[in-house]
Amino acid sequence: MAAVATTPRQKTGWGVTNVVVVALALIPVLWMVSLSFKTPTAVLDPSFVPAQWTWGNYTQILKTSAFVRPLFNSIGIGLIATLISVVLASMAAYAVARLRFPGKAVLIGMSLLIAMFPIIALVTPLFAIERALGLFNTWPGLIIPYVAFGLPLGIYTLSAFFREIPWELEKAAKVDGATPFQAFVKVIAPLAAPGMVTTAILVFLACWNEFLMALSFTSTISARTAPASLAYLSGSSQFTVPTGPIAAAAVVITIPIILFVLFFQRRIVAGLTSGAVKG
Amino acid sequence: MSTNTQTVTTGAPAEAPARRKPQLSEGARAERRLGWLLCAPAVVVMIAVTAYPVGYAIWLSLQRYNLELPNAVKFVGFSNYAAVLSSPYWWQALWVTVLITVVSVSITLVLGMLLALVMYRTLFGRGTVRTAALIPYGIVTVAAAYGWQYAWTPGQGYLSALFNDSAPLVSQYKAIAVIILAEVWKTTPFMGLLLLAGLSLVPEDLQKAAKVDGATAWQRFIKITVPLMKPAILVALLFRTLDSFRIFDNIFILTAGNNGTQSVSILGWDNLFKALNLGIGSAISILIFICVVIIAAVFIKGFGTAAPGTDIEKR
Amino acid sequence: MGDSGGMSPSGRRGRARTLIRVAPARTALARAGSRWRLTASLASVMLAAGALAACGSSSGGGSGPVTLNYYQYPDVSGATNAEIKNCNAQSGGQYTISYQILPASSDSQRLQLVRRLAARDSTIDIMALDVTWEAEFANAGWIVPWTGANKAAVVNGTIKPALETAMWKGQLVAAPANTNTQLLWYRSDLVKTPPKTWAQMIAMAEQLKKEGKPHYIEIQGAQYEGNTVWFNTMVNSAGGTVLNPTATKVTLGAPAVKALSVMKQLADSAGADPSLAVQMENENRLAMEAGTAAFQLNYPFVYPSMKADNPKMFKSFKWALYPQVIPGVPAKVTIGGVDLAVSQYSQHRALAFKAAMCLRDKQNQLIGATVGGVPPTIASLYRDPKMFADYPFHADILYALQHASVRPKTPLYQVVSIDISHLTSPPAKINPVNTEKAMAASINNALQSKGLVP
Repeated sequence: MAAVATTPRQKTGWGVTNVVVVALALIPVLWMVSLSFKTPTAVLDPSFVPAQWTWGNYTQILKTSAFVRPLFNSIGIGLIATLISVVLASMAAYAVARLRFPGKAVLIGMSLLIAMFPIIALVTPLFAIERALGLFNTWPGLIIPYVAFGLPLGIYTLSAFFREIPWELEKAAKVDGATPFQAFVKVIAPLAAPGMVTTAILVFLACWNEFLMALSFTSTISARTAPASLAYLSGSSQFTVPTGPIAAAAVVITIPIILFVLFFQRRIVAGLTSGAVKG
Repeated sequence: MSTNTQTVTTGAPAEAPARRKPQLSEGARAERRLGWLLCAPAVVVMIAVTAYPVGYAIWLSLQRYNLELPNAVKFVGFSNYAAVLSSPYWWQALWVTVLITVVSVSITLVLGMLLALVMYRTLFGRGTVRTAALIPYGIVTVAAAYGWQYAWTPGQGYLSALFNDSAPLVSQYKAIAVIILAEVWKTTPFMGLLLLAGLSLVPEDLQKAAKVDGATAWQRFIKITVPLMKPAILVALLFRTLDSFRIFDNIFILTAGNNGTQSVSILGWDNLFKALNLGIGSAISILIFICVVIIAAVFIKGFGTAAPGTDIEKR
Repeated sequence: MGDSGGMSPSGRRGRARTLIRVAPARTALARAGSRWRLTASLASVMLAAGALAACGSSSGGGSGPVTLNYYQYPDVSGATNAEIKNCNAQSGGQYTISYQILPASSDSQRLQLVRRLAARDSTIDIMALDVTWEAEFANAGWIVPWTGANKAAVVNGTIKPALETAMWKGQLVAAPANTNTQLLWYRSDLVKTPPKTWAQMIAMAEQLKKEGKPHYIEIQGAQYEGNTVWFNTMVNSAGGTVLNPTATKVTLGAPAVKALSVMKQLADSAGADPSLAVQMENENRLAMEAGTAAFQLNYPFVYPSMKADNPKMFKSFKWALYPQVIPGVPAKVTIGGVDLAVSQYSQHRALAFKAAMCLRDKQNQLIGATVGGVPPTIASLYRDPKMFADYPFHADILYALQHASVRPKTPLYQVVSIDISHLTSPPAKINPVNTEKAMAASINNALQSKGLVP
């Protein structure tokens, strides 16, 4: 894919471009990091580099379980919801991309409609249901809605991936004597794996980011997730906005994502540009 | 078994008219069953979670229902909708939402395309660029929004200091610009990812051939890359537009919808949760939904965005 | 995503290519398999942890002290924990209060409580209500009135306006636990004698600007509840009210026009901070500490904050009573604070009343004042020497509290407040006569539940 001969001018050109992209992406993040190290007095100063450094914001939020536990909840709820979502979506996407059956358009239409319905209107009735079923303030109370709202995205993305895989492979596998299930597991799934990983990442990020339901369906740290816990940070008085602790909390919530992206960026991009299924 | 493979590989166009309902072959019936079976769990979960709330929301929109007065519920037909559609607040919120959507999606499209190109073609440091570019997408929206808010606070923020200690969040259009900036920063990676997928499907051979023919990079881009990417671009645009129309988190944190920056979602929130007027709030939500369906219809029918599963017949 | 499909012209060549690729995919299967197994085991661990976590949230029942759930805003000072400890000790084993933390923002607290009360949640026993919610909660039947000996104990010694916030339709529906009011804070190095009226303060600001000294008057100009508080203070200080006592009619009129014209005057004067229209109490405090302001109208939390953040400026940081709108007539500053209420659906009503009584008794309010920084509602505490160290301004606060005004008491207060603040913020766009008319019209609509909330 890269040009064979690279002139120094091309190299500098791309070098500069890279720097610009990285800078634009990261400057707001660095700002949050710098805010998280500022003392309450240093917050008054708009400079990027804190005039006074302190670890106090981090110790304040990390010393109580009030923040650490939601982080754990976020990871757990996100992983479980993603796993279930990807499995169910894979099955449905395979059917949509491969098989003929009536009601397909209805399925697609319904899932798109669900993805598009404003969640603010659904929060109150969902809250009532969860209370009635005893799911309020529990992990399943968040996992189940996350799965339901992650499925449309999953089905859509995965059906596109499955569509890219040529028919001939399955046919060849069947000619070799494999059952449809074996054909799926041994031939299709490995090729779709990059797509499934990409979908899993997209769904996980959606769950991680989710704020409204997390705030509405939890009341204590036993089920509260990290974004919702930002709403519980308070300053020394009811009027003081705890800029430092909020920034520190935001950074702590972001670190797992940065690690996540760091490990998976090759997967994400490879999944999308994978040569394995190009015609 | 062999009949099945025959059915699958001889190409669909000849097949369609042959699908006479009463005489489905055993293989076709098995295929249907398998299809339903595979879809069933996903369908069950989606319906179980959303059927009642959606139905309830629709029912609520036809009632006069204040959460504090659960005994004073009254059926009022479409008068909630009439109240919403005749309210200047709705139209202003709609205008603000459309403005934010159009501007932010356009900017995101351009920047996303540039980002896709960089992620695809950069000579070195690919991993770093990709990681850095994906981080904005991974950050929790409300956390990033707090960061933007502090950045624009006079006396505290570096961006405000950059513009002479101005307070853009005070005036309507400047605040909208700040909101758009936050949205664009957050969603460009997602657009870039989707466009990257489309970009990777453009065959290198065509590019090389055009280069040999003497086409400039710009010409190659406009005449080869973009047309071949059209499906990917349309899908990316569709998703982004649908999401942008329902913008909430960024506005909620940055301005809480004050000073004329209210989007339709914020308007819905205010009526549902501040005024506890479930009837009006649900009517607003249904209207938002209708707008979103219209947008999707425009994209799918008007621009020819491919809806998944519709082109299986081409096989 | 792209629909290149499988029908490319190079189909046969493509097929050969993909078939060759399948082979490495099969060996990749082993890796994929182990990866999936790892994911599966990780998932089952998380599932188990989740199940355990989900199970662990029920409160203990059976014999032993009853657990009372007390829902309050987050308090990092430790005062609430100390108060709860006291009350648990005093309960003689009858009950244990459990501190359930609500979100930091007042709106979010209300939302959580409302949602659960509307669902008849029986796990809520005692709630800390903001002083504007009592009418709404009582009208909806979510809180239980205080009667008999409990009521007498609460009424006795509590500052009148604070008590008024807890009354609805002649009944006492909550017990005032803490309160708040605003003072005028100024820099004595810029201004020798503090202004007594708004006109004087604005004139001083103009003068300071001419002298090239810091001259802003910090006040809450953003479009939120604090802005409504400012307006309410001004209207009441001008001799009027927003609604009639039964909250059925709008009574703005001439005092409102006067109030609005003073607000507009400030917005046009040298005293107006350029970011006035986005400022809340926190931004006011920060501007003062940063040195750009000469005056500040804010709650007492700014005092310990200035001491900690800017000790140098603290030496010339002084206070005075809120400026008058009508010369000679004391200002009627809007009262803030929190009242404790017992939930209608609590399963331990009698004990909840007892616990609430304890939480807001004299000893605990003193802790709240000195450790938590929230002024007490019991008048005699303002003469208690233990308060003086942290509240050198205790006499002024007591005076302000005794002359305080209350925000309109109506179940539809949230809507009324939004209607007000949308017209009074940004303050620069106020047109006294027109704004008063528009406000009267929209509040009228609100009282009849007509139309949308912006």
